[in-house]
Amino acid sequence: MKQGTKQTTRQQPKKPVKHKKPKSMAFKNGVTGYLYILPFAIGFLAFLLVPLMQSLRMAFCSVGFDGGMTFKFVGVDNFKWAFTVDPNFVQNMIGELLQMAYTVPSIIIFSFFIAVVLNQDFKGRGLIRAIFFLPVILSSGVLVGIETNNQLMADLKDVIAESSNLTSITDVVKSMFLAEGESLGPINYVFDAVDRVYDIAISSGIQIIIFLSGLQTISPSMFEAAKIEGATAWETFWKITFPMISSLILVNVIYSIIDFFVRSDNEVMDQIKQVMVIDIKYGRSSAMAWTYFAVIAVIISVVSLIISKKVYYYD
Amino acid sequence: MIKTINLKKRRKPNRSRAGDVFVYIVLAAFGWFFLFPLLFSINSAFKPLDEIFLFPPKLWVNKPTMDNFADLFVLMGKTWVPFSRYIFNTVFITVVGTLGHLLIASMAAYVLSKYRFPGNKIFFTVVTTALMFTPQVLQIPNYLVMTKLKWVDTYWAIIIPAFATPIGLFLMKQFMEQIPDTLIEAAKVDGAKEVRIYFRIIMPLVKPASLTLSIFSIQNLWNTRASNFIYSEELKTLPYALGQIVTGGSVARAGVSAAVTLFIMIVPLLFFIFAQSNIIETMASSGIKE
Repeated sequence: MKQGTKQTTRQQPKKPVKHKKPKSMAFKNGVTGYLYILPFAIGFLAFLLVPLMQSLRMAFCSVGFDGGMTFKFVGVDNFKWAFTVDPNFVQNMIGELLQMAYTVPSIIIFSFFIAVVLNQDFKGRGLIRAIFFLPVILSSGVLVGIETNNQLMADLKDVIAESSNLTSITDVVKSMFLAEGESLGPINYVFDAVDRVYDIAISSGIQIIIFLSGLQTISPSMFEAAKIEGATAWETFWKITFPMISSLILVNVIYSIIDFFVRSDNEVMDQIKQVMVIDIKYGRSSAMAWTYFAVIAVIISVVSLIISKKVYYYD
Repeated sequence: MIKTINLKKRRKPNRSRAGDVFVYIVLAAFGWFFLFPLLFSINSAFKPLDEIFLFPPKLWVNKPTMDNFADLFVLMGKTWVPFSRYIFNTVFITVVGTLGHLLIASMAAYVLSKYRFPGNKIFFTVVTTALMFTPQVLQIPNYLVMTKLKWVDTYWAIIIPAFATPIGLFLMKQFMEQIPDTLIEAAKVDGAKEVRIYFRIIMPLVKPASLTLSIFSIQNLWNTRASNFIYSEELKTLPYALGQIVTGGSVARAGVSAAVTLFIMIVPLLFFIFAQSNIIETMASSGIKE
């Protein structure tokens, strides 16, 4: 396949004069580009874009089930319903947005901090790094499971909850403290804070990896040079580490925002799922999903526009 | 122009003793958060029933027992089709899905980050935009697509969509952008063909990213229940079968459930342990950013 394209591109510049050559190079690049992208594009089209368009269509339809699916065009009724009739949708969405406003920056700062610490030299570094990467591999299996997702872990959690009314991980810890016979007075405040920190810590696994891999690709010779020039650690951090990693901050911010909005215990997501699965109103749930999607898209484009202005690209 | 930096000389930590202590305290405090769920599920798997129902629950097991696993293996023997069949299904889906995803996503990421051609930017924007869309909502339209392709009740309904997961392309492209263009130009000047550049230069350089993608893909596919698309018992996946075992019984299966959790967790965990040392090794030795 590769061979063939190359030959066809080579035949072209034979007739025209020499100055046409750059064009054929671009053409060749184009052909290679499309060839490499083709498999992904097909898969993406069939399993994401087409279903996406389907659901967009559903958002403007009332979906029925008399012998197969029927779509009846109803205009913006579904959207109207979401905004005016449904009592919780707008409220839930605002709640999620506010929560995002402090969660995402915390995740970025936390993961950056941990990545910098993990990038240091100390004994047992490999083991400790492995521990911090744990949420990434266990996220769908166990960690999220304890909170919501995985059926098996959810069962386990149900069993625990049945006997003890526990909902979050700090509650489990808390009751363990109680069991040891320690008083909880001031510790309660700590637990509240920890509850938040825990959520943030648990959802920053990938971000830590991304930062850490970025930190590790900064060439040591840069630091050496800076040291010879007499830069302090503080200056080195802001003049070398930070700019070198700034493009990854953008990546991580986008990743965190998306991750936050599509996580399965998100209230809006819950509602969308409920309308779809329990009330069987596909039209309404699609309309809600698309509204939600539009809001996320706006937030991400604004945020990335702001950040990408500050990003330093190293070539 | 590109020097392979192999200065393995470690920078001497210019930190005080107090700094060292601080680093350890921070790591210990947060490390505990990350370890807790793992420890809890490992311990639960070995708890006898009365300890599982203990209120309030304890982290550490008092009288460890293998009963949960024994029960699990007895129940495994009673399934409709031989249990090995479920294991094969899941292994097959995971291996094929992950390898395919790796190849296809990195191919696309390569040209997106290193070639300029019309539609390049638009394509990436569309892909990353799709990333934002809530996956659950796509279930029904996706089912319609599968029906049209006649893929319902086959492995392909799970495997092929996994090939084109946007998050893989996104991460891979970001990583590939760090590879200097001059490296590729040099290879071209030396007469390397496209395919050769891709397999011999690009792929080895992005090994850490490929391992990260693999971890994602493996944990995703390994945990897949696939109950939406697959109806034949002999094509069902391992988590589905184990889920059946757990929910099939009464509360008495709580012990088995804990054992199952550990059982499912172990494979992604092992891959991770294998890959994580590899990630660090690769990243330490490839100073490609010069």
